[in-house]
Amino acid sequence: MSRVVVAGSNKVIEPVIEKLHELNLLHVVNYSGADESFEMGKPVGKSSEYAEQLIKLRSIERYLDITDKMPDKQFSEDQVVSQMGGILGSVGDDVIATAVRISEIDNDVKIKQDQAKTLKPLAALPVDLELLYGYNSLAAFVGTVSSPVEADVSKVSYVNEVFSAGSGGATAVAVFVPVEKAGDVSAVLAEHGFSEISVPRGPTGSIAGAISNLESDAKRLEGEKAPLQKKLKDIRAQHEDLILAIDEHISIQSQKAESPLRFASTENAFVIDGWLPTDQFDLVKKELESAAGGRVQVEMLESSEAEKFVEGGEDIPTKMDNPKVVRPFELITRLFAIPEYKEFDPTPLIFIFFPLMFGLILGDVGYGIIIFVVMLMLRRKFRTPGWQSLINIVMISSIWAIIFGILFGEFFGPLGLWAYIFSGAHHVGLLGTVADPHSVGIDFGPEFYGPLGRIGPTIAGFAGPVFPMFRLETASVLVLIGISLFIGVLHTGVGSILGVKNELAHGEKKHAYFERLPVLLFQVFFVVGLLGMIMGGLTHPLVILSAVVLVVSIVMMLKGPEGVMGVTHVPFFVSNLISYLRLLAIGLASVGVAFAANQLAFYVAMPMLSGGGHDGFTTIAIVVGIVVLVAVHFINLLLGILSPFMHPLRLHYVEMFTKFYSAHGGGVEYSPFGRVRRFLRD
Amino acid sequence: MVVENIVDGGILYGLIAVGAGLATGLAGIGAGVGEQGIGAAVVGVVAEEPGFLGKGLFLMLLPETLIIFGLAVSLILMFAWTPFA
Repeated sequence: MSRVVVAGSNKVIEPVIEKLHELNLLHVVNYSGADESFEMGKPVGKSSEYAEQLIKLRSIERYLDITDKMPDKQFSEDQVVSQMGGILGSVGDDVIATAVRISEIDNDVKIKQDQAKTLKPLAALPVDLELLYGYNSLAAFVGTVSSPVEADVSKVSYVNEVFSAGSGGATAVAVFVPVEKAGDVSAVLAEHGFSEISVPRGPTGSIAGAISNLESDAKRLEGEKAPLQKKLKDIRAQHEDLILAIDEHISIQSQKAESPLRFASTENAFVIDGWLPTDQFDLVKKELESAAGGRVQVEMLESSEAEKFVEGGEDIPTKMDNPKVVRPFELITRLFAIPEYKEFDPTPLIFIFFPLMFGLILGDVGYGIIIFVVMLMLRRKFRTPGWQSLINIVMISSIWAIIFGILFGEFFGPLGLWAYIFSGAHHVGLLGTVADPHSVGIDFGPEFYGPLGRIGPTIAGFAGPVFPMFRLETASVLVLIGISLFIGVLHTGVGSILGVKNELAHGEKKHAYFERLPVLLFQVFFVVGLLGMIMGGLTHPLVILSAVVLVVSIVMMLKGPEGVMGVTHVPFFVSNLISYLRLLAIGLASVGVAFAANQLAFYVAMPMLSGGGHDGFTTIAIVVGIVVLVAVHFINLLLGILSPFMHPLRLHYVEMFTKFYSAHGGGVEYSPFGRVRRFLRD
Repeated sequence: MVVENIVDGGILYGLIAVGAGLATGLAGIGAGVGEQGIGAAVVGVVAEEPGFLGKGLFLMLLPETLIIFGLAVSLILMFAWTPFA
């Protein structure tokens, strides 16, 4: 990246902006307004007009429920300009009028339904609606009571008129008394559980008739709504891509028109500051000069001068540049923070470690294939860049899940169990009956491993060959603990090395050698020491060696920039490593549930429904068994996508990134002035 | 003192299994309690500022390590710890 200054006469600002936008290369640094001799530039062209058009277009989009998507059709600039008037004019007005009418209808329907609902309890009253209100000398009480009121009302007010009609649980009443008796009557009614209904003012005639009128009106209005909605849908289907293309066109125009607000300007000239990939400078210079007819000066600053801006707090933008397969994983990097310009971009490492960890956790051929196929199908449906990245990440990861599934001998749960099930064996012991305390856990005996058999080398001290490795078995658990810790050391180790590199790139030697390096030594030799202890107890040479290195690394931390505070991080480094056991743990949970699903279906549900027998299952038992099987595997599959995704993510963010990332704060992404056209054809 | 060997079906073996269960289970509760508050706060922040999602996840997943500690203790109890043997 190089710092570039573009200066020129205000007369050529429009062609310069046009060209810069087209090149889509210059990362513009906004003018801060700090310099007295320069002001912020003023918008060129019809910027307020574009803003108005955009507002109208966006409201049309909202009514039509159009959101951003990948284009099915593309339009040339001319097509868009010629059709823009129609969309923003007659079509747009039509859409807005239709949408407004729909919301009016919704409103009316709601009012009518509410009125009908209010009147329902009064339906049986033999009084017309308009007679229930609007008196000067009479007080009217309309509502429901729980017991007859006529006698009691007569006691307090000799002059009265009471209508009542039973409907459902409560009795509807309409009581009319002289106004001066209203207070007494109200008290009497309250004793009978009177609850007032406020009579809606609109409808007239008999109450039952009014209710049916209201309901039929509501229905009629609903019917009126349907064709209007269909009309909006048709307009949407017809114009969706065009509308998005117009949106793109106006956005570009308005972006260009408003861009001088980001530049410094005087009465007669403008100055644009920005960053540019160094190898593109000559191209940009040549293009700008020819566009402005030579009335523009494009200059690259010396790197020492650019350095001053960086010291002044300006960030050099970072452009992540990775091969195509690796690129989806930039999503994970970006989610955490953009690396600084001088820092290492960890994306390729994520590409290596993330799918590996995902696979190690999930490790099942069946699940892997299902995830792969589902993602393949989703890839066509969700075509926005964010979704594409996510889907590609999961797809690459699922391939690793299949590979590890073969290593682990798992196909919808341990392969051995399937062999057992189809051989018609009756019972599988879950906990092995081994007297040896080293072998508690699950042991199925040598014949359990199915047609694949067990091949591979014997690992010293642990039972038997390891392929296919049944993860629920004691020896495998121990081996996997080792593998997890090994991956942990590798992963955090790479992180620490990058930390050293980054600090050196920033010229912080003390931080590099006395803060980052001891962490690397500590973590590596912590595990080496553990290995030594397993191999030969406390006196093993590896243990002694690592004890020495651990002490040295702690002394280095003491000497480091943080001093004693640096040493207080030691428990954090240990917990970092232990954290990698989740690779084993979550995998065990996943295979455990798959195992349980198979057991539940074949050794619990099917025998139980067939009357306890293990031979000759009834049809219904088989159906129920398969439903159980599918349901539990489905839940496990959902969890099997979520947790193998989240936990490696955490291992990257917490355990690895903290070793090297953002000691100096996150970077700024390179976003050049311009726009990638999607709906517009070049 | 009578030294009892850990054998299948023996009381000591049972106690170890109970201890292992408690270690993972209680650690899980602890992690859950820790994540509860963080999770609520993160959802709140992300609603206002979607760009915070990555850092929010980072914070949210921090207490997850607790349960791994519990699990490590369980694994040692079940597979690697052999007192009196």
